[in-house]
Amino acid sequence: MARTDDIKRYLIDQFLLEVTVEEIDDDFDLLANGVIDSLGLLTLVGWLENTYKLDIDALDIVPDNFRSVASIDAFLGQADPVASGAN
Amino acid sequence: MPWRSLPGRIAEEARVRPQAPALLWHADEVSYAELHRMAGAAAARLAGLGLGPAEPVAMVAKKSPQAVAVVLACLMLRRPVLLPSAELGAETLAALVDRCGARRLPDPIQLTEGHEEFTFEGDHDPEDVALLLTTSGSTGLPKVVPLTGGAVTRFADWAAEQFGIGPESTVLNYAPLNFDLCLLDIWTTLSRGGCVSLVDQDLAANPAHLLAQYRARPVQVVQGVPMLYQLLTQAAAGDPALVLDGVEHALLTGDAVSARGFEPLPALLPKAVFHNVYGCTETNDSFLHTIDPADPMPYGTVPIGRPIDGVDALVLDEDGVELTGPGRGELVVSTPFQTAGYLDAELDRGVFSERAGTRYYRTGDLVRRHDDGVLTLEGRRDFVVKVRGVRINTAEVETALRSHPAVTEAAVIAVPDELAGTRLHAVVQRAEGGKLNSLTIRQHAAGLLPRVAIPATVELVDTPLPRTGTGKLDRKAVQRRLLQARTDRPDTTASGG
Repeated sequence: MARTDDIKRYLIDQFLLEVTVEEIDDDFDLLANGVIDSLGLLTLVGWLENTYKLDIDALDIVPDNFRSVASIDAFLGQADPVASGAN
Repeated sequence: MPWRSLPGRIAEEARVRPQAPALLWHADEVSYAELHRMAGAAAARLAGLGLGPAEPVAMVAKKSPQAVAVVLACLMLRRPVLLPSAELGAETLAALVDRCGARRLPDPIQLTEGHEEFTFEGDHDPEDVALLLTTSGSTGLPKVVPLTGGAVTRFADWAAEQFGIGPESTVLNYAPLNFDLCLLDIWTTLSRGGCVSLVDQDLAANPAHLLAQYRARPVQVVQGVPMLYQLLTQAAAGDPALVLDGVEHALLTGDAVSARGFEPLPALLPKAVFHNVYGCTETNDSFLHTIDPADPMPYGTVPIGRPIDGVDALVLDEDGVELTGPGRGELVVSTPFQTAGYLDAELDRGVFSERAGTRYYRTGDLVRRHDDGVLTLEGRRDFVVKVRGVRINTAEVETALRSHPAVTEAAVIAVPDELAGTRLHAVVQRAEGGKLNSLTIRQHAAGLLPRVAIPATVELVDTPLPRTGTGKLDRKAVQRRLLQARTDRPDTTASGG
């Protein structure tokens, strides 16, 4: 199962998006389009840490790392390469 | 005290206490001498731009020590400076700058390079316009609110006295530079020789940055929307031993804090007096309420309290007749800090009015005056709600949603959110056969509205929205249905809102 699908499923549940996984483009801008706001960002980071067993450095919590599903995925990839096998 | 302008006072601080810290930016302190040097360099650059005598300038920049110095340079030069929101789209921004007849300034980093001496001579006419702030309109061009040097100085005098801001104070500045809240956080503090702890806008949602700022230099005064306090609470959750015991005054403003949002604050800020501050860009602060931690919501909500010194406030009934005793009506205020009117005087109609020789501002807020004279907010006479301290007209958000070709009808309501205070919920009726989901409608709205006005949750329906007997959209019925749906599904989590 692709990690991006898990992220999308989380976004759909957490932010009550009422769409399917297929309907979220990897590059859809979650910030500019008002899906994730400041508090939402923190909730997302908490979920990523729990799910992928990461300790995200506080200074990495900048909006650009979480702008789209693709950028979240890329951030996870470089944050902790070991985690890419986790699900 | 004789009249002394804000920039005059700040220049005096730089002369008398050059090494005292004026700003804290990340881990670095900027002294009054350094701030004054940057402002001097910017002033010299501005003088070389060949501006007309009363031509305003526009500073479009994120918060930074350099940006603060550029505003200071404009104040020193008696040059009105427009501070637009950084969230405006390019077109709106250009139209706004054009409407003000303003010259857009180069980047503050460039402007503040170099060592030009600036000697502050004489002083301003208190009636000269110093700042051009804007209201946070949800669509169209923001309204421009000119504030005179006198209005700003009178406010600083009040705020410094009220919250004990002096040379030993450090004050947290959370709001972006274009917000009226900066008149307290930044300009009052600098005029008193204190230090401003500037929160980086890019890291404003990051509790670690807020804590690092606090650890580098504990603050005595904090002012912010409920969300700031929510972020501080979240920061503390990761560190149970964390106590911000340097804070003496905590000001909540811009939105109503919820009971759950307030509950952890007295323990987190054990030495703080909590104040609910009510105001708007047009009048600045007009009401103040000191919150009793033992009974924060005496009337089911945190009151806005009573008028502050020098403020004249009336409660008017539906016929415009003044209510002298307890009751419900619209709040109109007159403050020593208010604007004389919008830059475009056409917009004053119905908003500013004379009454017995006093110029009043219609707030649009419906209030209840209780037996003890304390006021609480009860809603709006129009469709304006506040989300994160930003005024949003829900009717304009509906219009934006309705302009999507696949939308038949849309209703937008403000719903209380335990964490964020207030958030927007949209119910959208899809056109038959139209392809629409909650992401495409958001994307459409994002092209027309500032981000804070995009509904936090969108519910798509295929059946007509409820109507009143006269055929109007029945938003109250939409609201009731939403509450009912929530009661039926108690485990539904609200969005990040």
